[in-house]
Amino acid sequence: MAEPFGTAWGDRYSRQIRFAPIGEAGQRELAGASVLIVGVGALGAALAQHMVRAGVGEVRLVDRDFVEASNLQRQTLFDEADAMAALPKAVAAASKLRAINGDVRVEARVADVNEANAAELADGARLVLDGTDNAATRLLLSDVCFRARIPFIYGGVAGAQGMSAALLPGETSCLRCLIGDADEGGDTCDTVGVLAPAVEFIASLQAAEALKWLTGNKDAMRRTWLSADLWSFRLRESAMPGGRADCPHCGAAETLPESAAAGAGGRPEEEISSAALCGRDTVQVTLGKPLPLDRLEQELRSRGCELTVNRYLIRARLGSGETLVLFPDGRALVQGTADAAHAVRLCEAYVLGRKLPV
Amino acid sequence: MQREKWKDFRLYVITAEANHPGRSLVDVMERTLIGGAQIVQLRNKTGSRAEVLEQARSLRALTRKYGVPFIINDYPDIVLETDADGVHLGQEDLPIGEARRLLGPDRMIGISTHSLDQALKAEREGADYIGVGPVYPTDTKPGRKAVTTSYVTEAARHVTIPFVAIGGITLGNVDRVLDAGARRICAVSAIVGSEDPAAACRSFLSRIEAADAAQAAKTITVNGREERTTAATVEELVRQLGQQNKQLVVELDGLIVQRALWAGTELKDGASVELVHFVGGG
Repeated sequence: MAEPFGTAWGDRYSRQIRFAPIGEAGQRELAGASVLIVGVGALGAALAQHMVRAGVGEVRLVDRDFVEASNLQRQTLFDEADAMAALPKAVAAASKLRAINGDVRVEARVADVNEANAAELADGARLVLDGTDNAATRLLLSDVCFRARIPFIYGGVAGAQGMSAALLPGETSCLRCLIGDADEGGDTCDTVGVLAPAVEFIASLQAAEALKWLTGNKDAMRRTWLSADLWSFRLRESAMPGGRADCPHCGAAETLPESAAAGAGGRPEEEISSAALCGRDTVQVTLGKPLPLDRLEQELRSRGCELTVNRYLIRARLGSGETLVLFPDGRALVQGTADAAHAVRLCEAYVLGRKLPV
Repeated sequence: MQREKWKDFRLYVITAEANHPGRSLVDVMERTLIGGAQIVQLRNKTGSRAEVLEQARSLRALTRKYGVPFIINDYPDIVLETDADGVHLGQEDLPIGEARRLLGPDRMIGISTHSLDQALKAEREGADYIGVGPVYPTDTKPGRKAVTTSYVTEAARHVTIPFVAIGGITLGNVDRVLDAGARRICAVSAIVGSEDPAAACRSFLSRIEAADAAQAAKTITVNGREERTTAATVEELVRQLGQQNKQLVVELDGLIVQRALWAGTELKDGASVELVHFVGGG
């Protein structure tokens, strides 16, 4: 890594260093830190820019999705070329971030965060920043972070509303204790829309807490759950409770045994699973084995599908109206349906070469 | 005898044969027991001792079948002879001390009172419960001036033993009596004079329960708006608002309450609650 205080760029972080609570010492802390950002959509892209511009040493980005035109209104790292090329968000973001600050090691992972890989992704991170778009992944990250004793900085937005809180192992409750497991499906950006300023507002709150933590200013952290509505303009802060004694994550029980902690563990090979992405008319199908994109490209083209192809994925418009987006890690996003069984049948027919059942 | 348990009674029923010509005493009283009467009193001011004894024997057998205490108005001797659970006295009947001497420590002694002075005197003398009335004018006790619900309110404030409001109480006025502070109700003609005494009992009981719920209600602030609620806990409130299946962040008086603690977290009068749907986009 280049010396961040070198002569030509000696001023790079000067305004941040001049801010007394950070100073030279804080800046060195940042340069030595590694953070994980899960989800590189609207929140994640804003968070990533804050971390990279601030000079965090290493930023790991994980995202399962690719750039589309509907992202551009608020996902500030992306442009029209990214959407036209259907680049994975992690990849498109990483190239922009490297151009913004070449000193930062930016690692891009095109992957779905699940029980099998979450702990590995968080390994070595000083904190985990929440850029996800669903409660299930957040609950998983909260579990993993509390087990590994890494702060998890939650942020969520929908419409003009947002919430944020720093979940601190050993101090605050974990997310699961706060909101429980029940889920009837709340508002999402895909159902009620989302305003870019709400995203930026929440991402800024998260980034501020991240900077405090990373520069050794833990005592300055805001110990509240903040809810905001930027349209009616209403802000509310609620005190965060401590860990709950009988919770295996935030309670007295320090850690779970590794076997229990791993949850379902890795998925067995070849097993197909699927999950509808809430409110998006999209199903994610996990096919359980790597996909040979070269061969699939030829097959899909020969079947008359309209294709968008890049190094990271194939997007195929099917004659029946749906769109398949295939990733080499064995995932397919099936757009244009919310019916998981239908999505699986399409994958079987177009990807696994099985006949469509009559 | 389980005098302590009897104190839980809420609906007290008294016989009045004149109110149900053509139907037998035992039939009518069994209908009240089916409807949920929790104490039965035999009151017969005009019949001979022999007639009262015979009715007492029948009602003793009937109430025993339903596991309900049986009280006889006056006649401590018949109480003993039929193994009834207690006696009910008027102000002009024998003194409480005398009744206690005759019946021993285990049987119930109740007494009608018409003023707070009488109520407090009865309490001092060892009554197990008192009647408070007549709240409204009644044909059951013609000529006695109604004490109105103000005496009910006084009794609710000052009397520590169980008291039962009585006198002219019907389904049309019972809510006012309950509002005045009564927790136990006695109705006579409105029940035994009814076409369907069981249904009448059930109606009275449901009014009593509704009053319980209303009395349990408190004023809280939910998301900035004052509301009345009967919810005892955060969990009950969330359920009453139909939000139990939602991912919520619940704040009580400034502090977030963890999901697992909702059921054990009491809602006090004046509490301020914020329920916010978890915001999940990103």
